Amino acid sequence: MIWYLFVPLAPYLLWLLWAAAFHPLPLTYNWRSIWQRWAGTLSTVGAIAIVVMVFVVVLSMAQGVSKAYVRSGRDDQVIIMRQNARVEMMSSLSLAQARLILTHPLIARDGVGPLATEDIIVSKQVALADGSGAMSVTVRGTTPAGIRMRSQVRMLQGRWFIPGLSEAVVPQKMLNRYTGVELGRSFAMAGRSWKVVGIFDGDGSVYDSEIWTEVGDLRQAFRRYGNDSSMAVRLRSAADVPSFIRDMEQDVRLKLEAKPEPAYFADLGDAGRPMQVLGQIITLILTVGAVFAAMNTMYATVAGRTPEIGTLRALGFRRREILASFQWEAILLTALGGLAGAGLSLLFNGIRTGTVNMNTWSDVSYAFSVTPDLMAQGVGFSILMGIAGGFLPAWRASRIPVTEAMRS
Amino acid sequence: MDDVSVRLRNLAKSYWRGSLEIPVLTGIDLEIPRGGYYALMGPSGSGKTTLLNLIAGIDRPSGGELEVCGHSLNGLNDDELAGWRSRNVGFIFQNYNLVPVLNAYENVELPLLLQDLGRAERRERVLHALSLVNLTDRMRNYPRQLSGGQEQRVAIARAIVHDPELIVADEPTGALDAKNAEEALILLEHLNQELGKTIVLVTHDPKAASHARFQIHLEKGVLDRTVEVHDRPVLPRLLT
Amino acid sequence: MRFLTLVLRSLFRSKRRTFLTVLSLSVSVFLIALLQSLLGTMDALTTSTGSGTRFVVQDKASFTNVIPQAYTNFLRQQPEVERFTVLQWFGGEYKDPKNFFANFGVDPESYLQVYREEANLPSIPLEQVRDFLRDGNGCMVGRALADKFGWKVGDVVPLKSSIFNLTVRLNIRIIFAGLRKSDEMVLAFNIKQLQEAVPWMKGRVGAITVRAKNPADIPRLCERIDHHFANSAQETLSITENAFNLNMMKLLGDYSTMVHSISAAVLVAILIVTANTMAMAIRERTTQISTMRALGFRSGQILSLLMAEGLLLSLLGSGLGIALAMGVASAAAKVAGQIIPWMADFIITPETLLLCVLITLALGLLSTFIPAYRASRRPITEGLRAL
Repeated sequence: MIWYLFVPLAPYLLWLLWAAAFHPLPLTYNWRSIWQRWAGTLSTVGAIAIVVMVFVVVLSMAQGVSKAYVRSGRDDQVIIMRQNARVEMMSSLSLAQARLILTHPLIARDGVGPLATEDIIVSKQVALADGSGAMSVTVRGTTPAGIRMRSQVRMLQGRWFIPGLSEAVVPQKMLNRYTGVELGRSFAMAGRSWKVVGIFDGDGSVYDSEIWTEVGDLRQAFRRYGNDSSMAVRLRSAADVPSFIRDMEQDVRLKLEAKPEPAYFADLGDAGRPMQVLGQIITLILTVGAVFAAMNTMYATVAGRTPEIGTLRALGFRRREILASFQWEAILLTALGGLAGAGLSLLFNGIRTGTVNMNTWSDVSYAFSVTPDLMAQGVGFSILMGIAGGFLPAWRASRIPVTEAMRS
Repeated sequence: MDDVSVRLRNLAKSYWRGSLEIPVLTGIDLEIPRGGYYALMGPSGSGKTTLLNLIAGIDRPSGGELEVCGHSLNGLNDDELAGWRSRNVGFIFQNYNLVPVLNAYENVELPLLLQDLGRAERRERVLHALSLVNLTDRMRNYPRQLSGGQEQRVAIARAIVHDPELIVADEPTGALDAKNAEEALILLEHLNQELGKTIVLVTHDPKAASHARFQIHLEKGVLDRTVEVHDRPVLPRLLT
Repeated sequence: MRFLTLVLRSLFRSKRRTFLTVLSLSVSVFLIALLQSLLGTMDALTTSTGSGTRFVVQDKASFTNVIPQAYTNFLRQQPEVERFTVLQWFGGEYKDPKNFFANFGVDPESYLQVYREEANLPSIPLEQVRDFLRDGNGCMVGRALADKFGWKVGDVVPLKSSIFNLTVRLNIRIIFAGLRKSDEMVLAFNIKQLQEAVPWMKGRVGAITVRAKNPADIPRLCERIDHHFANSAQETLSITENAFNLNMMKLLGDYSTMVHSISAAVLVAILIVTANTMAMAIRERTTQISTMRALGFRSGQILSLLMAEGLLLSLLGSGLGIALAMGVASAAAKVAGQIIPWMADFIITPETLLLCVLITLALGLLSTFIPAYRASRRPITEGLRAL
């Protein structure tokens, strides 16, 4: 994204690279000059570091949200819902439809049986651990096949639920944010008491935000006989997905909507989108401010080194060499801030928190995901700031008449 | 009223570099009468500027007594000293030290802002001071729009606008060419003779020193000798 | 005051530097003002006009679940209840899923009563009210919404639900002018249409909004209602409308944390930038400051002059930033208000203005104090030597 901003600058950048390569004024000269006026340098580096850090951290949140969803799907699995349902929670399937789907020949089997699960999705208010209230959490009633199909889910502590006993399992990652759902405790839902018998890990997938229980128990508790939410199936191969989907949509007895899991989760992953847009707008605005600050510092540098520029010019350095030298100095300065900001943002990497998915209106847990790509984008931004903030001062430096420069 | 402007008794000043004491002035005894015109002379490092700073109350002695314009400066705190300066001392610097963002008029007005004067009275005094240095026509100009000689004349106007008893000048001709230097010296002479100001100046320019009535020679921080100047040059009178 | 000229001229001594710093500052204050006001505006929406006297009865497990309409029988028996109405979120889309706006199935007559402030009931012509109540396919829409799509009374609006497998065709009977723009971005129609067309909605509603005679009774009422349904198949959760809204806002709580953290980070950044500018401005004036002190200015006077300069700098920056934010906010309210209902009420909130004043003071004082203090205490003779 931000790399496109470099495209119109390409000729100038190439020229700068060329100038650096065949430069009579080495970059070490600029490096030392940067530290000559260290107070100005540190203030600019600090301000730019903060801007870059804000950029990387906000985008790492957005990235973290979509990552939770990307991790959840498999290419060869399909989610089947009522038409227009969009999310599992809003969907409903009849018993007859479910039976019919199960007979489809493309559905894969393992040693135990067909890899297909009918799930019921409801939501429940769970108290936040910090005492600030409660949030809507997804509760999924599922089947043994459902557990086998979601291979990223691993039992860490305790055991899976036994049908008929109103038992539930809770993701480990939910425990530091919520209370009342710890192993061994019971919570109330739909007029029953549910006991937490196991703690599982969803490997960063969306299942890390769901409480799981047995579908039959949930069906009884919510009196949803013959009215499950959705079905997920695994097919023999990913290549079978299009034809299976066609069957689901066109069979007159079904008329259902089927989506490959990756597509379904990608849609849900849009929850991180507003954050991403907000992050980008904020960064754009802040970048403008940072450019002014960098410009200030560079003008001060040029002013402070005017006699030196005069001397260099008197020695035979040309205007364009002065321009390149100061432009490089500005880029060095801001890139230093960019690197510092990217480094600082690493402090946030892996912090786990939650937000609300506006599609499902329930909590999704995610971790800040500071990737090398995001950090590179942050540094890229800082280089742009250096080019924008350094050009005018560098241009001015290259235009100072020799005699005037020597005099001051 | 005492007719002595500056009275120094066993005055000493030393600096500390770490635990090492470096004496700059020792055992200075000096009296300068009201209306005196004294030049402090000596090689660099002899302590003449330090002595001037002490007399002007912008530096503090390490020992001895210091009485200037009828006040003992020893017991004053920083703010009292500042108030004392604003009433009793006019400063002239080698590099003029005008405030660059203020024009000639405002620069001259600056010392008056420290006193409880109305706008009209300030104006009257500023115009009077500017007319003494013959710069009324340049009063709206900023320092960078003035020549060195004009800048120094503004500075002299600033030094006298609040009617101080004592004027201290540190190398007032150091940055001026011969013609402008002479003009500045004429002005000082005039301030001394016509207005009765006590003038103490530091200089190593023998020509400037020759205008003073007495030359005080310092050598390595002690008073070497005081010489009365007998054949002072006769200057044309620029001012009336 | 007599030193104002000196302060002003000193501030603009290096015009480019001051200008760049002011711009840098104003951009940051602009961002903070906008972000904080965004939060503030969303927050203000949770306290709507009639909401103090209302509460919502919904399914305890999730407000996306439905509850039996028969629950209203119990509510009718409660003496503290003034009126109640039933609602179901329809999630209807007009022509394109992007045309998002709030639309509900409601009980028309009681809805008008319960939300009489928001709909500004007295201002609706009587014949419009009569038509709305008579027409089973009738609906009422807010002025802002009607303007957005160019609807007039009598128009037919097809709505395709994203929740129910259903499309309804509604006749516009009322176009009301609400007290706030965001209250006008709503469409309400008779819930019977929904209950008749969708089998599992028969006798069920999404929520019941209750209007109490006295707000003081609400906590007691909520408790009694929830207790009554505690042993039924579907437990209820009764919360005041403000609390309900707050719950929704809580969902956006992450955004508020994010906005506050970003604001804090930006503040640190501009503090650094401003402090650097002031340090530069003071450093290059060392001789001038010492000269002024030699002339008799006291350290305290010098310090105040420099601080005044710093304050003025930050005042210029934040002033420009706030002005910019106000302009953008009112433009955003006009443009984005068409798409996102609550954006129509977007303003720079008084709290934000107060915050900006505090930021200005803090920035001006903090950025200047250290260099100014040092300059004002520096030995005069040292400063005169540093040419």
